[in-house]
Amino acid sequence: MRRRPNVLAGFGSLVWLVLVGLPLYVLLIATFRTRADYSTEGPLGLPAQWTVQNYLTDLSSGFGQDFLNTLTVTAGVVAIVLLVVPPLSYAIVRARGRATGWVFRLFLLGLAIPAQAVIVPMFYVISKTGLYDHLIGVILPTAAFCLPVCTLVLTGAMRDIGPELYEAMAMDGASPARVFRQLVLPMSKGGLASITVFAALQAWNGFLFPLILTQSESTKVVTLGLYEFQTEHGVDVPGLLSAVVLSMLPVLVVYLFARRALVQGLTGVGGK
Amino acid sequence: MTSLATSRGAAGRAARRTRPGAGATRPGFVWALPAAVFFLLFALTPLLLVVVLSFTSWDGIGEPRFNGLDNWTALIHDPVMLQSIWTTLLLTVLGVVTQTPVSILLGVWAAGRQRNRAVLSAIYFVPLLLSATAVSVVWRAVLDPNFGVPAELTWLFGDGNLLGTRSGAIGVLTFVGVWQFTPLHALIYQGGARAIPQVLYQAAAVDGAGRVRQFFHITLPQLRNTVITSMILMVVGGLTTFDTVLILTQGGPGNDTTVTAYYMYQKAFKGFDFGVGSAIALVLVVVATLISLVVVRVSGYDKMRGTTEGL
Amino acid sequence: MRSRLAAVTAVTALVLGTSAACGSSDSSSDAGAGTIHVLVYGDAGNKVEKQIVETFNKTSKVKAVLDTVPGADYQQKLQTVINSSRAPDVFFNWGGGSIQPFVKADLLLPLDDFIAKDPGLKDNFLPSVFNSAVIDGKAYGVPMRGTQPVLLFHNKKVLADAGLTPPKTWDELVAATKALKAKGVTPISLGGGDQWPTMMWFEYLYDRIAGPGLFQKALGGDREAWASEDSRKALDTLKQLVDSGAFGSTYDSVKFTDGGSPALVAKGKAAFELMGSWYYSTQQDANPDFAKSGLGYSAFPSLSGGKGDPADVVGNTNNFYSVLKKTKHPEAAAAFLKLMYSEDFVKAQLAIGNLPTTTNTLDHLDLSASPGYSKDQYQLVKAAPSFQLSWDQAYPPSAMTPMHTAVQQFFDGRLDADGFIKAMQALPTS
Repeated sequence: MRRRPNVLAGFGSLVWLVLVGLPLYVLLIATFRTRADYSTEGPLGLPAQWTVQNYLTDLSSGFGQDFLNTLTVTAGVVAIVLLVVPPLSYAIVRARGRATGWVFRLFLLGLAIPAQAVIVPMFYVISKTGLYDHLIGVILPTAAFCLPVCTLVLTGAMRDIGPELYEAMAMDGASPARVFRQLVLPMSKGGLASITVFAALQAWNGFLFPLILTQSESTKVVTLGLYEFQTEHGVDVPGLLSAVVLSMLPVLVVYLFARRALVQGLTGVGGK
Repeated sequence: MTSLATSRGAAGRAARRTRPGAGATRPGFVWALPAAVFFLLFALTPLLLVVVLSFTSWDGIGEPRFNGLDNWTALIHDPVMLQSIWTTLLLTVLGVVTQTPVSILLGVWAAGRQRNRAVLSAIYFVPLLLSATAVSVVWRAVLDPNFGVPAELTWLFGDGNLLGTRSGAIGVLTFVGVWQFTPLHALIYQGGARAIPQVLYQAAAVDGAGRVRQFFHITLPQLRNTVITSMILMVVGGLTTFDTVLILTQGGPGNDTTVTAYYMYQKAFKGFDFGVGSAIALVLVVVATLISLVVVRVSGYDKMRGTTEGL
Repeated sequence: MRSRLAAVTAVTALVLGTSAACGSSDSSSDAGAGTIHVLVYGDAGNKVEKQIVETFNKTSKVKAVLDTVPGADYQQKLQTVINSSRAPDVFFNWGGGSIQPFVKADLLLPLDDFIAKDPGLKDNFLPSVFNSAVIDGKAYGVPMRGTQPVLLFHNKKVLADAGLTPPKTWDELVAATKALKAKGVTPISLGGGDQWPTMMWFEYLYDRIAGPGLFQKALGGDREAWASEDSRKALDTLKQLVDSGAFGSTYDSVKFTDGGSPALVAKGKAAFELMGSWYYSTQQDANPDFAKSGLGYSAFPSLSGGKGDPADVVGNTNNFYSVLKKTKHPEAAAAFLKLMYSEDFVKAQLAIGNLPTTTNTLDHLDLSASPGYSKDQYQLVKAAPSFQLSWDQAYPPSAMTPMHTAVQQFFDGRLDADGFIKAMQALPTS
């Protein structure tokens, strides 16, 4: 059934395109201006003199280190999540007994705890345990706050595994570990991809925990780098905006190559 | 094996209560233990500690000392505290009111399978990829009254004093919220809209219902659960707004955009009054939980079954 | 499906791989005996701190390790570590209220013993500067960077075009703002979004009208000082200036820290800006041509009938190094502090545009990147009967946010004089 073009929707989508596109355009174009030109040229015109110096300066002034730190945090968080969540979800879906049910409810409750609410005691605990200003001190709480959503998503994905498959394996006398390895994990690949992406994004874009729990140049993550760029005296705005662009590049790559997993990870929907 | 026998033997309700596939070898509680312990240690313990700390005075240098209800009496008499709650609620409501319609429209639009929509969607969702920090940094630069867009579009922005007034600053925060979060919610609505059976539309078309009618009589009612899910996310997100305030307005002008989460940060980590900071954090938890509960009850979200129903 | 998963796994593998490669790059090498940790504010000025540490390590058995805390959160991070196992031995601070909580918690080493052994640790510094790290009669810090008095900067061309000269008196300043406004120029550029630049106007007006005593009294706990007649007069004078439109209307959207307010002056859109002496290097950095030929400066105008000496200055007296009581190497710390009046130190500071406050600075001023500017500043500070430390540095850190909020709200008209006085009276004093 062919429909006539939807003019209203077309117009609306154009408005949104401008709203999204304009700041992105200003952002991108500003990174190619020299610092002197930035304060004389308007934000909308093309630079009179194109330069990539801003990017080079960023890369040579410690932004590379920030990147490595963010990668470390992201990897650590993803590793923890992938280590503890699949067994938990498996237990929630398959285990008997009240205990696992309680754990699940506990995690649901955890969905409502905002990270800001626990930052003071977190700071207390982290500094008392000597983890202050260590990346592991950022990784642990960040991972903990990923758990509720990840559990919810993966549990959802595992619930969709047909009972007859479990029964077939039970007939063979498979142990829970074997069932987990040979049935559950392969069958919930979509869910695993989603929680990987979700956890990675949380870690990559995390700000509050690093802000409070680290202090050194050697433990600075990218988001913190952007924030500090902003608050020091005499900010070099094109340099700052180039740093923003650099910080989103890896996510952009994932977006291009693993768009569906990313989208599912973002919306917290179990993928199938 | 006895459970297998009963589940097979009993009919109807009894069989449904036991999970399908009940006969297979099952994992023990041990499988849940690592996650449970980890979560207990790093999320729930701090939550309990925040209660304890709210009855102490602690400046970060010495050890926390109990000071009874001092923090709480101070907060009750603190006009900024109350104002921060109102500001938080205002920003949350503004966020829901502005983001919901835009997200629904965008999501339903993007649900269409047309090629151009797919391509444009890819661009539309780019703000998703930016961290809140990056979003704030970019908007700070874009809205600068001297070097940003307001300097060129004076017909639209006037003198560009956007962050210098209460209404301006709140407007900016709301707008940046729309920019930042609409893509996420549009994605959720896109999923919801695609799940609507096409037959409904075909039937309506046969009845001669136009596009607008179809939208209001089929799409919106069918998206009801999605709206609730999305709104809950918006409310929780709105109540915990922090990064954008810290970078865009720093709570200013004056206290005009000091939301509760930022006020907690100010008291604890700028003023080194961690006791009062903890008390504010607790207020935030209570307010957030209460509002979430109300939204859940009113919407009937808790009655929904399954994991995908609300999405 | 397959390719998507492959992509995710690839990214994860990449992430995990890189992290394994750089897993243990921590800086927790505290175990090595015979080191003192020196904690400093991380910015461009670190060049000199690094150099001094190197100089120190050449001769000393106990080695100094320089740790930097980047960005504006220095005070917060300092408070965090100072009583922990990661506490430094020597640390950067602003004197005054910034170290008062630590003195109260008995964490800092009074330097009196050091000074008894080497009087130079006190006598080689300008007294008005040295005194801002003296608490309850005991010295707790040694100046370690440059002094930063607040000056009234201007765009020479804008003033000349309006037929004006730098104002010597308050009345001249007021007249100048009117003339500039009539010409369509914003008379005074103000980075109100940062809040502390607004506070500088309060600091100078209170000094000129009431003299330095009023603030000292208030800081000492006398809350009535804020309600005094002089206090009201200062607020009144300031209010008139704000209401006359001298600061334009968008100052609260403008920041100094992102280069906004200095650019207004450099581009000739505004005439004056009240700012610390680092303004010169800010302009040099962002608008080199303007800094070279177009940027002028003068002391804050005098105010007829005021009790304050027109030679008084306000600002950051200097930054200081303080020593923690629990340091294992007090002698090494003392030896390190001595370098702060060495010739090498003075020369290095001058070379990066800082103005040290040692008595021998005068001998080396020609080495400064801008000798004329440095000499004027040095004379200004040396001759000042009172050098008022910035209000937010003089008060304990917990007072900073409410103080900044109050000054901003007074400028916005959200607080009247009574409201401002009440807000200041509510500040914690110690």
